[in-house]
Amino acid sequence: MVATDLVFESLLNGLLLGGIYAVAALGLSLVFGIMDIVNLAHGHMLMVGAYVSILLFTATGITPLVGMVLAAVVLFGFGMLLQRFVLKNVVGEGIEQPIIVLFGLALVLQSLGRIVLGSDAQAADIGIPGDAIAIGSATLSFPRMVTFVVALVLILGTWAFLKYTTTGLAIRATAQSTSAAQYMGIDTDNIYVLTLGIGTALAGAAGALLSMLFPITPFVGWSYLLKAFAVVVLGGVGSVAGTLVGGLILGVSENVGVLWLGGGFRDIISFSIFLGVLLIRPQGLFGNSGGGE
Amino acid sequence: MVDSNSSHNRRTYLKTVGALGAVGTTGLAGCTRLGMGGGGGGDSTITVAATVPESGRFSSLGTDVKRGYELGVSKMNEQLDQEVELLIQDDESSADVVRQNLQQMVSNNDVDMIWGSFSSLLVTAGSAFAENNDLPFLGAFFAYEQPHRNEGYEWTYSPFPKSRDVARSTKGLLELIPEGERPTNVGIWEPNTGWGSEQADAWEETLSGAGYDIVLRETFQIGSEDFSTLISQSDSADVEILLSNPSPPGGITSVNQMQSNNWTPKVLKYVRGADPSAWWSALGEKGAYACMCPGWVPGLTGGGNDQMRSAYEEEYGLDEGQLINTAVGGAYNVAQVASQTVQAADSTDPSDLQSALRSESFETVIGSFSFENNGLPAEGELTAPTGQWWNGNQHTVFPDVDGEAAIDFKYPIPAWGER
Repeated sequence: MVATDLVFESLLNGLLLGGIYAVAALGLSLVFGIMDIVNLAHGHMLMVGAYVSILLFTATGITPLVGMVLAAVVLFGFGMLLQRFVLKNVVGEGIEQPIIVLFGLALVLQSLGRIVLGSDAQAADIGIPGDAIAIGSATLSFPRMVTFVVALVLILGTWAFLKYTTTGLAIRATAQSTSAAQYMGIDTDNIYVLTLGIGTALAGAAGALLSMLFPITPFVGWSYLLKAFAVVVLGGVGSVAGTLVGGLILGVSENVGVLWLGGGFRDIISFSIFLGVLLIRPQGLFGNSGGGE
Repeated sequence: MVDSNSSHNRRTYLKTVGALGAVGTTGLAGCTRLGMGGGGGGDSTITVAATVPESGRFSSLGTDVKRGYELGVSKMNEQLDQEVELLIQDDESSADVVRQNLQQMVSNNDVDMIWGSFSSLLVTAGSAFAENNDLPFLGAFFAYEQPHRNEGYEWTYSPFPKSRDVARSTKGLLELIPEGERPTNVGIWEPNTGWGSEQADAWEETLSGAGYDIVLRETFQIGSEDFSTLISQSDSADVEILLSNPSPPGGITSVNQMQSNNWTPKVLKYVRGADPSAWWSALGEKGAYACMCPGWVPGLTGGGNDQMRSAYEEEYGLDEGQLINTAVGGAYNVAQVASQTVQAADSTDPSDLQSALRSESFETVIGSFSFENNGLPAEGELTAPTGQWWNGNQHTVFPDVDGEAAIDFKYPIPAWGER
């Protein structure tokens, strides 16, 4: 019999972890939902963002929360250039070509990471003093609380951007129908450039947040991609709210599930949910609403 | 673009991504075809092939292992009539790379002997290669016993304390605490690997037999980065003595998470997890009090310890108050076994070396021992010395010895707020 207090603490820890999962998956979800591109390099872009933050922290001692901004800016530029000069040549050329290009990019980023930064695990400290926080009988990690709050801000900010700005409206219109958007005078090429920029910027920001909690190596890309992919499938492609809910469900399921099944089942739990949703509700819990619903 | 047929497209995507993901996560691993080994080098030179993890997750130990091997080979060159040549390559902490590197070295050189890397994962990869090529293999940093019993080892010998020795040493360590103050609640975090299970069984059997309560035994995925659930479970179960054998850098990550969750055991012993010098460089004072069982610790005496210390200081230098990192001793001990084997065999023929390994007794920096036919150190001959991190060094705390490299076992670990 698992103690109620333990379940409560694991549930809260799962929520905190789920927020991180959600922000790690958000960029992937947007790019998938709006551009119909599965960004197989998303996890590796996250890794690059983490390293930007770690390097800044190591060099200056500045908290990775500031590094997160730099990581997002760097990855935003990278994403825009990637779309403008590489992906635009393969988007619309069938399902496989973008996947193959991005798979290749992932391998390149992983190899560059290993060559330039070595394969040792690296991490950054949050750099903000703070003690563990007690909520009832549960004790929660201060860095996780901070990263969770920042993750929520990023998710809500993305949602608000898509919902309330003209550019966001253009992005959603493009997601619903590219040809109709073009008839309305929207430059869909630029929308795609911007979308991939936002998606990769979110990956960079997520990487910076993760670097405060977990060690980063050049090889973490695949595992974060798979986790992010599970969140996207669970929540529904292109849905900001779905990504958040999907992340929270995954985090809680893992953390509470292992209390009964054991820690060796953590990935089995998350990928069983992934497979279950694919079989029962392939469109995900929130379906596809073109982002920013 | 999202069109009406997008759900079909997405299902196709998912299948494609799933297949590519599987390929990606397996790292396009290929099979290494083992050719005929080139054993039995010429009499003028003894050629040793070794891999060390200079990069990857075990990289924080690679330099120390390499230094131990190199110091050991220097000593061999003084002791033996033939020249000893050490071929050494970075295995990137990958079993596949171990196999590839050994294949390349054995194919291009007359290799007489192979020395293992670090951890059960890498050492067993090297030993499998050696067994297939009929070459003597010496592997330290390898506490896992089962392969010795199950794999029909003929060429693999492990001069290193094993799981049973680590469990006995843990009991000895705890007996250093006065009986009235001694904690009784043991928690075991078990990595979901063969060695994880074996070590947890050994701890449970030895300590429950000695009157301790095993209040928690929970598995976790090797390579796991989130220990929050285990920490909550340990807190809830009132774990006082926490034992585990996480791979680096998992141990470091878990201590950071213990601090951020404001929980600490009274005794912490991380076999292999707290071995590397990166433990202190990453954690600093947060890493104090942690114990480890790295096979060799700086306070040991006899068996060539003085010569090794002098050679190390001469070659690499030691700052005031600095002790030699533990992996150096474990690796140096491998070279000592090799040297004594060659001297006893008076030959470099693999079969003669094998006979010597099976019949001789060895005296090295980790102690005196002989081997069983399956390559295990003979039961009960080796003590697994325990070190404890204190002021940036791994000091000997068990066995209870005197000397500048030894300290009294620091107990209990204070709460985070009292450090």
